[in-house]
Amino acid sequence: MADTKKVAVVHEGKAGRRIAIGACVVFLVIFLVLPLVYILAVAFSDGWLGYKKAVTDEYAVKATLLTLLATVVALAINTLMGLCAAWAVTKFSFRGKKILTTLIDLPVTVSPVIAGLIYVLTFGRQSFLYPYLEKAGIKIIFAVPGIILATVFVTFPFIFRELVPVLTAEGTDEEEAAALMGASFFTIFRKVTFPHMKWALLYGMVLCTARAMGEFGAVSVLSGHLRGKTNTLPLYIELLYQGYDFTGAFACSSILMIFAIIVLILRSALEARGKTEKNV
Amino acid sequence: MGSNEKSTIELRHIVKYYGDFRASDDVSLTIEGGRLVALLGPSGSGKTTILRMIAGLEHPDGGEILIDGQVVNDIPGSERGIGFVFQSYALFRYLTVYENIAFGLRLKKWPEKKIRERVFELLKLIGCEGLEKRYPGQLSGGQRQRVAFARALAPSPKILLLDEPFAAIDAKIRLELRSWLKEMITKLGITSIFVTHDQDEAIEVADDIVVTNHGRIEQVGTATELYTKPATPFVVQFIGHSTPIRNFTEFRSFFKGQENEIGILRPEYVEVKKITEVVRYSNSADIGYVRDIIFRGSNLEIKVDIHGNTISAIRSINEEPLEIGEKVWVFIYRMFVIDDRKVELRENASLREDSLVI
Amino acid sequence: MSRRTNSHKYRSVIPGFGLTFGITIAILSLVVLIPLCSLVVFTAQLSFPEFIQTVTNARVRSSYFVSISTALIASLINAGMGLLLAWVLVRYDFRGKKIIDGMIELPFALPTAVAGISLTHLTTTNGWIGSIFYRFFGIRIAYTRFGITIALIFIGIPFVVRSVQPVLEKVDKECEEAAGLLGASHWTTFRRVIFPELTPALISGFTMAFARSIGEYGSVVFIAGNTPYKTEIAPLLIMSQLQEYDYASATSIALVMLVIAFLILTANAFAQSMVSKRVSNLA
Repeated sequence: MADTKKVAVVHEGKAGRRIAIGACVVFLVIFLVLPLVYILAVAFSDGWLGYKKAVTDEYAVKATLLTLLATVVALAINTLMGLCAAWAVTKFSFRGKKILTTLIDLPVTVSPVIAGLIYVLTFGRQSFLYPYLEKAGIKIIFAVPGIILATVFVTFPFIFRELVPVLTAEGTDEEEAAALMGASFFTIFRKVTFPHMKWALLYGMVLCTARAMGEFGAVSVLSGHLRGKTNTLPLYIELLYQGYDFTGAFACSSILMIFAIIVLILRSALEARGKTEKNV
Repeated sequence: MGSNEKSTIELRHIVKYYGDFRASDDVSLTIEGGRLVALLGPSGSGKTTILRMIAGLEHPDGGEILIDGQVVNDIPGSERGIGFVFQSYALFRYLTVYENIAFGLRLKKWPEKKIRERVFELLKLIGCEGLEKRYPGQLSGGQRQRVAFARALAPSPKILLLDEPFAAIDAKIRLELRSWLKEMITKLGITSIFVTHDQDEAIEVADDIVVTNHGRIEQVGTATELYTKPATPFVVQFIGHSTPIRNFTEFRSFFKGQENEIGILRPEYVEVKKITEVVRYSNSADIGYVRDIIFRGSNLEIKVDIHGNTISAIRSINEEPLEIGEKVWVFIYRMFVIDDRKVELRENASLREDSLVI
Repeated sequence: MSRRTNSHKYRSVIPGFGLTFGITIAILSLVVLIPLCSLVVFTAQLSFPEFIQTVTNARVRSSYFVSISTALIASLINAGMGLLLAWVLVRYDFRGKKIIDGMIELPFALPTAVAGISLTHLTTTNGWIGSIFYRFFGIRIAYTRFGITIALIFIGIPFVVRSVQPVLEKVDKECEEAAGLLGASHWTTFRRVIFPELTPALISGFTMAFARSIGEYGSVVFIAGNTPYKTEIAPLLIMSQLQEYDYASATSIALVMLVIAFLILTANAFAQSMVSKRVSNLA
């Protein structure tokens, strides 16, 4: 391998290579590493005790729990939707497939603030649904259901998008073969199709989790910003920040940052896993 | 092994569209029980569509499909009693060879002991004993094909359908597998249909060949019938190694001909002789020039320039060697003459005169 | 025999279409379609003169300008850096490459609000970076459009890298070698052989980053300072209208942004089809 590399015609010389790598490293250090280091630096600026106090604050814990709830629900709904939609789109041909895919992809191309806005318009006071919801005693916006809906919305296509290329590449022959032998939907899914997509599914779920935990704009619109009730962790961080409690804000940020790093590590591991599995 | 009764298949006026594309255009066909039939045609001729409709993987837009006299249009593929071998084999990549073959049996709720017996019986049949714990990714192309064959046969289907069974295999192993498959199917006596675009494959393996083109069936017959009595202009051109000759009337003793007629020449109808050799029908032989000589193992293919065409002829290795550029006698025994619709076999005129003399 | 009567037009032997399609449509309707319809219904109720008045208001216009110009600059910088990063990650082997590769998605994994406050604090006039710029160049970063651009560069990093990287990995080495053997210099080879192959991916990475940047809220809202006419971005303006329960104005501003996003994505689709047409004509 080393030899073929030497033979390769395009090699820019050592200097060019160093400059290119150097520029990339400097760019990434400034834009990616520095903010992370800074979060930790401020989080621990009042020492370990200050940090501990900030992250175990009653409201911080409640915000974390709400964030987890929204994340889990978003994950469940989007996994179900992703699996079903990917199956329908890749195993069958039907009219309107393109429209369906576009609609599923739509939520991530919309600004999070606008995502929040459309839910306000749907369930808010001026909506025709509002009287019915009020009669039924259901409160969606400025309440937990709104936060969950917004989280589902902004992470909507993540799992679907990871599954489609894998299932497309796999084709439909194996499923047809199983169906011709009389296998039912669940048997085919479990025994034939699922093993192909398990890593892609897990990968999509990781991405979905990451985005769900960190969603800010859409949730911000739909939350009533009630401390301990409708504040997710990112909203709580904003609140602390605007109250000039920087240590608290950065301490809570560090929780999300650690999650983010775990997500990145999982992502790399899953990607490597998926690649080796493909080569078998 | 397999069921004793041999299933017949009948297609009646099958029509199938993909959008505007007519994949099957009034296809009618009867396949007798126990025959091994090849669907032969160029790509896009609708042969795979026919196979997939018999399997229930596609549904005809019109017409009827009958298996053993029963219309099966509305019976799902899994209840038609067929085994299907996919072009890609479609082995379940995440199940072992054992589980692949056992798949259909488990769905039929066979007891574990019987499944085991059947799987090992089939593994023995396909000569893959000891591979049961492997995954499809760990098999060679030929082994995969055998396993796919075993999986299709496991539930004892009445009909076996194979879609381009040799397409994904190396040329060398392909020849070996061809005779293996023919032997296997003949032994089982199961009604089988396979799709191929390779005429050598169809001729070698099949009892009957169905030639398809543009969604229609051109001709059904044995290899010899297709060869000697082609029914349509398409079959003439598709079967054998044919060279079209537009100006065939310029050849000696083939003077008649309409405007839109084309002569189709096969190498075995052409004899090439050295100028010094004795030629029986010298007054009806043409002069040609050797353009190329290709060694074909058992014989030589001689390419000869004649009247602005390059035609092929077969010459025995034992005959006196020719040289490129050499001036030769070319005698044409017969050729097919086709127009848009009909086929006619035309003999060299001097042959008839000669027979009269004798 | 009764199958034919209730048969689906596109029925296939593979089971599960009805079930999966049904669940998909049900969830899609609840989460996306119904809310989208209510947006359409609400829009239909807006009076056209009022709509025009709202979106042509000077403050709104300037917020569009701020959003688009900063997003454009940030995405262009990301296109350049993204190309370089993809090149370095695909073509060079060096220690720490895996870490860099894994880090690219950080802006995606890190909550935008967290990135926002961190970048803001770093770039204020007494922050680690901001102080250097302020002392030596007299430039303020936080609470200016420069700051907004910085935040948008941050969130846009993964887009170009991740769309160019796989294409670059597949660029036919033989084409490159052929060009080299024909005597093309490295630069010519890159410009004439490699770059054209990357163009579609580069364009689509750029447009995705651009579309995302225009709508970005979380990371920008802290660093922007939100001074009307200067550093107020369109999503923030929507937010403040919402907080005043002025749904009509919020929706009007949002509609224009949706149209802009739609135009960007259409332009991308158009560019992609142009490029693929050119390639297929060559072939």
